[in-house]
Amino acid sequence: MRNERRPWREVCFPNGEWVLGLALAVELAIFAAIGENFFTWANFFEVVRLSVELGLLALALTPIMITGGIDLSVGSIMGLSAVVFGALWRDGGLPIPAAAGAALLLGCLAGLLNAVLITRLNLPPLIVTLGSLSLFRGIAEGITKGAENYSGFPAGFLRLGQGYLGGVVPVQLSVLLVAIAAYWVLLHRSGIGRTLYVVGFSPGGARYAGIPVQRRVALLYFLSGVVASVAAIIYVAHLGQAKSDAGTGYELAAITAVVLGGTSVFGGRGTVWGTVLGLFAISVLQNGLRLAALPSEMTGVVTGVVLVMTIGLGRLRGRGQRNEAIIDEADAMKNSQLAILCCTVVGGALIVAGTNIWLVRSLRPADGVLTKPAAKPGKRPVVAMMPKSKGDPYFISCRAGAEEAAREAGVDLIWDGPTGLDAAKQNEVVEGWITRGVDAIAVSVENSAGISTVLRKARARGIKVVTWDADSAEDARDYFINQATPEGIGFTLVDEGARLLGGKGEFAIITGPLSAANQNAWMEFMRKRVAEKYPGMKLVAMRPSDDDRDKAFAETQTILKVHPKARLIVTISAPAVPGSAEAVQQAGRKDVFVIGLSLPNLCKRYVHDDVVQAVVLWNTKDLGYLTVTAAALLVEGRTGKDSLQAGRLGTVEVRGTQVILGKPFIFNKANIDQYDF
Amino acid sequence: MLERHRREISLVVAILAIGAVLAVVAPGFFAFANQRDLMLANMPVLIVALGMVLVILTGQIDISVGSQFAICSVATGVFARMGLPTPLAGAAACLVGALMGSVNGALVAWVRIPSIVVTLATMVALRDGLRWVTQGAWVQDLPPGFQWFGQSQASSELITAGCAAALAVGMNWGLRNLAAGRVVYATGSSPNAARLAGINPRLVVFAVFVVTGALTGFAAAFNAVRFLQIPSNLGIGRGGDSGGSRHDCRNAAGGTAAGRDRSGADVSGVQRVLGAGD
Repeated sequence: MRNERRPWREVCFPNGEWVLGLALAVELAIFAAIGENFFTWANFFEVVRLSVELGLLALALTPIMITGGIDLSVGSIMGLSAVVFGALWRDGGLPIPAAAGAALLLGCLAGLLNAVLITRLNLPPLIVTLGSLSLFRGIAEGITKGAENYSGFPAGFLRLGQGYLGGVVPVQLSVLLVAIAAYWVLLHRSGIGRTLYVVGFSPGGARYAGIPVQRRVALLYFLSGVVASVAAIIYVAHLGQAKSDAGTGYELAAITAVVLGGTSVFGGRGTVWGTVLGLFAISVLQNGLRLAALPSEMTGVVTGVVLVMTIGLGRLRGRGQRNEAIIDEADAMKNSQLAILCCTVVGGALIVAGTNIWLVRSLRPADGVLTKPAAKPGKRPVVAMMPKSKGDPYFISCRAGAEEAAREAGVDLIWDGPTGLDAAKQNEVVEGWITRGVDAIAVSVENSAGISTVLRKARARGIKVVTWDADSAEDARDYFINQATPEGIGFTLVDEGARLLGGKGEFAIITGPLSAANQNAWMEFMRKRVAEKYPGMKLVAMRPSDDDRDKAFAETQTILKVHPKARLIVTISAPAVPGSAEAVQQAGRKDVFVIGLSLPNLCKRYVHDDVVQAVVLWNTKDLGYLTVTAAALLVEGRTGKDSLQAGRLGTVEVRGTQVILGKPFIFNKANIDQYDF
Repeated sequence: MLERHRREISLVVAILAIGAVLAVVAPGFFAFANQRDLMLANMPVLIVALGMVLVILTGQIDISVGSQFAICSVATGVFARMGLPTPLAGAAACLVGALMGSVNGALVAWVRIPSIVVTLATMVALRDGLRWVTQGAWVQDLPPGFQWFGQSQASSELITAGCAAALAVGMNWGLRNLAAGRVVYATGSSPNAARLAGINPRLVVFAVFVVTGALTGFAAAFNAVRFLQIPSNLGIGRGGDSGGSRHDCRNAAGGTAAGRDRSGADVSGVQRVLGAGD
């Protein structure tokens, strides 16, 4: 090989990575033009910082996929290691290094388990790791009972995930660089690495060539367990919390990065360099969309398109290579043409999307969904507002009020957030807004401990911070917009239930996710009220719905069967109430009452059918309205000491740093038709 | 006989063992109402798994069915609101599913991208595309005749169970006895041999993806009519990103466990029911 003179392109990009490199360059160019503060060193390091955990997993997966295997369990190993680390430190009283050591050991064991099952028992990796994906996640959820959240780690440890070396370079970047170097040496500069490619091309042939195939493969799964738990520790330091859902879905994102980087899913082909490019193609896309205030849903669409394009091009090119008649030049020509085509399509998609949004904005000037792309400094203030979950009808109805307030106050509103309940994603979005340099941030907090550190960072940069719907730590925000006190909600629900039951009988609660701070506070007051005032009422079951209608449906069905005497279901999550109501209706249990906390529009038909007797809620539009108004007043510095002049809501009371919206309201058959939200 | 059905038998034994435990711990499990609820809750998975069996028989995989399911659910609701009678809205959802399946199929069969990559890409793209369009809003205010196809609850449940059973039995029979069924096995066993035998393996691969898409639409429509509203994250499931993969993995695993004998020999309806019912 040394004697041949290979063209430089082949030396630097043995696997056609330059196609991806070009796509990345196009991404950079587009976002430099339309994103705010995108093309800066600070943002560069921010992108790198947020992709460390994913990068580690992708690196671990690269050699595995080169041998033709797969490891789906990496995300779950992350979750398990994070939880064990947190539990040993907080409950076990171990010092941080010892707990981290134990978590790493656990990663070794988990990797070893996969390795043994795959190589000793000869089971397919897909099946083995699909099984351990459920197993490890299940153990993690078992340890924490799905609700425990370890936080309050010492500052010295958090520096690992949040600190900067010399004030610029993120600390965890060093870990990623070491891992990249190690895997590069392993794959491209060692004898073992060469044998891995052989295994990928033909495991049988490799064995005949005297390669210890099983041992090589086992090593890789073992390493991937170790790397996953390193990623877990960085993840904990990064977010300041350890929960059983750490790393959920990371396995797919990591596989996407690896495949995008040109590694063949059939084995035998792929490079570390390609994986790094694939990783950054995805993280730059996410970061860029955020800084350009484009909807984050575009990430998936564009990623999917890029994935199919790059691999498809590779396949078409591969077809040419196998055909001996095609000469080098022709191949090269075709290659570059295809690359340009690929980049044009990606770029085109972005531009079309960008102009579409522009068009929508100009057609409907009243609908301030997004800020102007590339707004110049010194313009209208920008308020960035985040729901717990974009898909929840409750938050969709808050958004309407928020947009109304943005128009009145003359501010630009950015509305973005996770599509499901995802504390890590909330942090990422806030980080993006800090980099973008918005004037105020309003967050409905999924996890207080996790987000408070980023919110403090935002305040340190002079950004006004408001929490709404659910609060963070008190020193992490200027105001908390409190829709109603937990006491008010809990007591109102119990009083209404007691009225229906006549003060005695069994009842059950369906909550949101078990870890939701809001719901847990309400339930505490509900229990208190029952104990104090209604000794005849008995709580027989409390089940989670994860804010999912179908899960609430199934849980209610179960409660009706297991506790046939329960005559009241209290469902305290907006999307879950229709689920509970439908279950009661389908079971034909006319004797069971359903009350809860939901939107009038979701429950109207059930209220009219006498399935749901009462829905307790505040005016969600007003909540969104008040949040944006308060944020705008903060930016302008026009806040009063114990009251706010909040536009159409008039004077609103401020208690300490809490802005109180008002009392919860009871919707029932008599009044529900008067409301539309 | 025993040797041929070794896998089914081990599954049956496992289920009987679980059943025995449940009979002691929670006898209520066997109540008719509970069995009916379980059947209805798992029926969509079963129907999707039927398609997945075909895909896996040809040596491919489709992990995008969760996203397809969500889109077909929303499509059912949107068509119903446009004034189509519910059965027609369901048929239209099948078409939408078949369309998405044909994209997967074309990319796998003719562009020759590995199916895991294609469906990974379409899973992410379709899921986020749906979120982008709906912004998470539910389909509400469905016409009054939408729920239960305008029938009574009991008869609609019977229709659902009947259709699912007919599909399972029909597909089982067809795979065994029809030429169209045998070519699926042939393609899975050896695409080259199949080609020499006069079968177009690419067309077969394309077709199984289309059928899976259509079945997903079918399942989505049957699932949608059990409720008054349609959330836009059905099948994408709990906890966002991973939920999708879990649902998909479940289908894939169900299909795998049930579908593909190592010898490529045979599949029975029993297997599929067992595999999907997890």
